[in-house]
Amino acid sequence: MGIENTSQQWGWLSKVLHWLTALVIFIQIPLGFYAESLRLSPLKMDVFVWHKSLGMLVFLLLIIRLLWRIKATIPQSLSAGKTQKRLSQAVHWLLYGLMVMLPISGWITSSAANIPIKLFWLIPLPALVGPDDALKSLAAQFHEISVCVLLTVLILHIGAAMRHHLLLQDNTIKRMWF
Amino acid sequence: MKHILFTVGLLGLLVAPLAWSTDWQSAPEVSVLNFAPSYEGLPINGEFSEFSVSYTTGKDGQPKALTVSVLVASADLGNRDLNTEIRAADWFNIADFPRAIFSCQKFTQDEKGNVLAHGDLQIKGYSRPVTVPFSWQTSSTGQALMKGDLALGRNHFFIGSDEWASGNQIGLAVKVQFDVVLNSVNASL
Repeated sequence: MGIENTSQQWGWLSKVLHWLTALVIFIQIPLGFYAESLRLSPLKMDVFVWHKSLGMLVFLLLIIRLLWRIKATIPQSLSAGKTQKRLSQAVHWLLYGLMVMLPISGWITSSAANIPIKLFWLIPLPALVGPDDALKSLAAQFHEISVCVLLTVLILHIGAAMRHHLLLQDNTIKRMWF
Repeated sequence: MKHILFTVGLLGLLVAPLAWSTDWQSAPEVSVLNFAPSYEGLPINGEFSEFSVSYTTGKDGQPKALTVSVLVASADLGNRDLNTEIRAADWFNIADFPRAIFSCQKFTQDEKGNVLAHGDLQIKGYSRPVTVPFSWQTSSTGQALMKGDLALGRNHFFIGSDEWASGNQIGLAVKVQFDVVLNSVNASL
């Protein structure tokens, strides 16, 4: 298995980026709900450091993916029919969009709340905006709605992959696995 | 009689330079008192919007007395949740201690010519000796500018007790910076 994608197969870099992103997102979503449920305490602040760090990691992984996507070959879609192909593409781009909007809206929320961000307790991020309670509430609401949309789109994405694997019995999942 | 009047007049002239003083009062609308606790080593910038500074100088401009009174409830960290939290008993406990007071009558100078005010700072019922450095500039319009900054240990005043006491997330050192415009309110013997 090479690093490069082919018209039939994903290369190892695309696979690593896909599954690493999936892993982080599946940790990230419950972590965010857990952090939000805690009262203001040192534990809450630590959990939020993890949440913000992993969120920005997803963003970084997405940038690498998109850069790689520009350069690399994209394997042919196994979806049959135009509608399915378009739906599949729409879901993928919506996922990419959410992977941008969620970290950025979280970053704005934190900045507007006047809470500095230090990723993994090591890397400080500059504030995107100044303290602003109204903007903080707006960005936080957008963040929460985006999570709900992400969950819905993930269900569609996973459901479609399972359909390909179990019902259509094609290589959609196999060619993304190692 | 002439001798008595002459003696009293002479004494007055001798004592006047020693006793002459000017009182200064802060102008709230153009003065700032900022404070910045740190979170994971990064500052969270806040301010006290209500405070007053009373300062007295001698005729030669030398400092004689300084009193700073801060309404702790006016603390604003730019975040509603944090503002609620810092008013609670673990932090400033404003219900029992609404004001912080710094009072000082002992002054020295550092090598840069800044005034060093050696006084007592009372916060949350605890009084600690604190040295406040500041620069002092007067203008011909009867105004003066007092500027300075210092770091205070919040643990010295038990601000952020119990689970917050370690300083791991919210650092123990709190930066304080002030830029105060004062008006001379009277000059008296």
